[in-house]
Amino acid sequence: MITARDVYKSYGATQVLNGVSVDVADGELAVILGASGSGKSTLLSVLSGLERADKGSVVCDGRELSSLTEKQLTEFRRRTVGFVFQQYYLLGHLSVESNVRLGADLVGNKNFRDEIAAVGLADKLKAKPSELSGGEQQRVCIARALAKQPRVLFLDEPTGALDEATGRSVLDYILKLKAERGFTAVMVTHNRNIAETADKVITVNSGLVTDVTQVALPKNAYEIGW
Amino acid sequence: MIIGIKDGIKLVGVIIVCFCAVFVCTFFLNFYFDAIAVSGEVSIEMRPLYDAQLATAQLVCAIAGGFLSVIAVVMLVFYIKLFIDGNAKRFGLLKAMGYSSAKISLAFWVFGLAVFAGALAGLCVGYAVMPVIYDALTVDGLDIAIGFHAWLPVALVLAPTGCFCAFACGYARFALRRNAVIMLKGGSGVTRVKKVSTNAVQFLTDMRRGVLRSKKSAVFFVAFACFCFSAMVQMGLSMRDLGSVTMGVIIFIIGVVLSVVAMIMAVTTVVNGNLRNIALMRAFGYSQKERAVAVLAGYIPFAVSGFAVGTVYQYALLKIMVSVIFADIGQTLEYSFDVPIFFVTLAAFVAAYATAMFVYVRKINAVSVRSAMLQD
Repeated sequence: MITARDVYKSYGATQVLNGVSVDVADGELAVILGASGSGKSTLLSVLSGLERADKGSVVCDGRELSSLTEKQLTEFRRRTVGFVFQQYYLLGHLSVESNVRLGADLVGNKNFRDEIAAVGLADKLKAKPSELSGGEQQRVCIARALAKQPRVLFLDEPTGALDEATGRSVLDYILKLKAERGFTAVMVTHNRNIAETADKVITVNSGLVTDVTQVALPKNAYEIGW
Repeated sequence: MIIGIKDGIKLVGVIIVCFCAVFVCTFFLNFYFDAIAVSGEVSIEMRPLYDAQLATAQLVCAIAGGFLSVIAVVMLVFYIKLFIDGNAKRFGLLKAMGYSSAKISLAFWVFGLAVFAGALAGLCVGYAVMPVIYDALTVDGLDIAIGFHAWLPVALVLAPTGCFCAFACGYARFALRRNAVIMLKGGSGVTRVKKVSTNAVQFLTDMRRGVLRSKKSAVFFVAFACFCFSAMVQMGLSMRDLGSVTMGVIIFIIGVVLSVVAMIMAVTTVVNGNLRNIALMRAFGYSQKERAVAVLAGYIPFAVSGFAVGTVYQYALLKIMVSVIFADIGQTLEYSFDVPIFFVTLAAFVAAYATAMFVYVRKINAVSVRSAMLQD
């Protein structure tokens, strides 16, 4: 599903990625594990087409991202990928329903309320983000991302801003929905325990992939430490 | 210092509005009181024109001074609210530490400095162009010399500065009455329960409405900008037919400056306030056109309404001035709606509005996901 080869990326004088190569198979949950400043979020941005690599090749869902024009890249994100961010980035002036429609309308998904129900928020359709807890807001983000029926879901520290109980609950939703629907997922985290839920763990340090581990028996959200 | 002097004097909109108001009032009030001083020398033949000039000076001062003062107040409220919203965490921290709203609000006096800067500049430029204005307003056979009235700087600069400083503190105190915890989280603390439609609305439609609802003051300033452009450009161009080219040029320039300032202020606020939403839409794959439409298209009806109201307003005002003020003058002045000027102004308006939107659409398209998300 995703193949990156010798990817370099810098911001000004700061070299963030130094020739990264990764592979993520179709339907796989890959966790990019690394400390703060290791380049893991930048790698996610490059793999998802949010940003272009300075050098190297990124093929996602059969498309070489570096060869796409800005318009084609927008179309690629529209059709192929979904995002869940650590800081939620919900539209504060819109209801839960409208926030989820942000994703659903892109692909004409009329069943967006099912997505909200799938994350356990069927009774919060008309609530504003400010009326929700952190865990509920992150679940809205998951519903928003899945409402556009992505082939690949990118998650940037989805539980990073949550306490243990809420974090486990959100992670559980992600894992269950992934198992049900079979999409590919790439999740960035600094938490080694969360990495135990993945099919593959890609460890990043100083802009380089230092280790790739295939996990034989991934754990669920309640079997791992925190 | 909680708020720096720099914060107070960077309110460009308030500075320009105060400049315009004081600029116009300076030479008209000066002329009015110089003319009053020679009223004993006015012959019967000169009397109608003399009275008309006095009435014009009074009317223009009342309209420019009154109208622009109200706009300056609205702009000041707009800026203070934006400043508090943008620095909610900082003020929340101060409140959490034990500072009262009243204590914090006293620091907002610096916002009155914008009024001082604009008014002082308006006064100076007003005095500088006074000879030209006196030439334009001259009454044949009557020598009206330029005099200096010491109370004018007090009334047009110091008094408004004091009033606006006090108003800024008072409004800030009102605006700071929020829960410290909510402010620390960066929220406005204002939760309004709105009637929720049971119909599912398309996201882009809902987003467009949401942008309008969340920045109501921007709606006002977009309409105001278009109103100023329409009214003052048409009025300025029409003045040549009414025999006052100098006044026409002044009105034209003030109209263009006010409309440009108000439009930049409004649209910049809207775009900056939605940077993260725009970035999110970009990340999800919304096209350039969809992003621009979601943020900016909702303002078009208000822009058109502002233009229409401005057209009616300038026509009514000129009609009243001609029929009331010049009624007693021997020569008869006729004023009717100037259709060519209307279409020229409309074309200029469409071109200017389209250009402004084009510039902001480019800005929207340049918003990168990374930079917007890194604001946290």
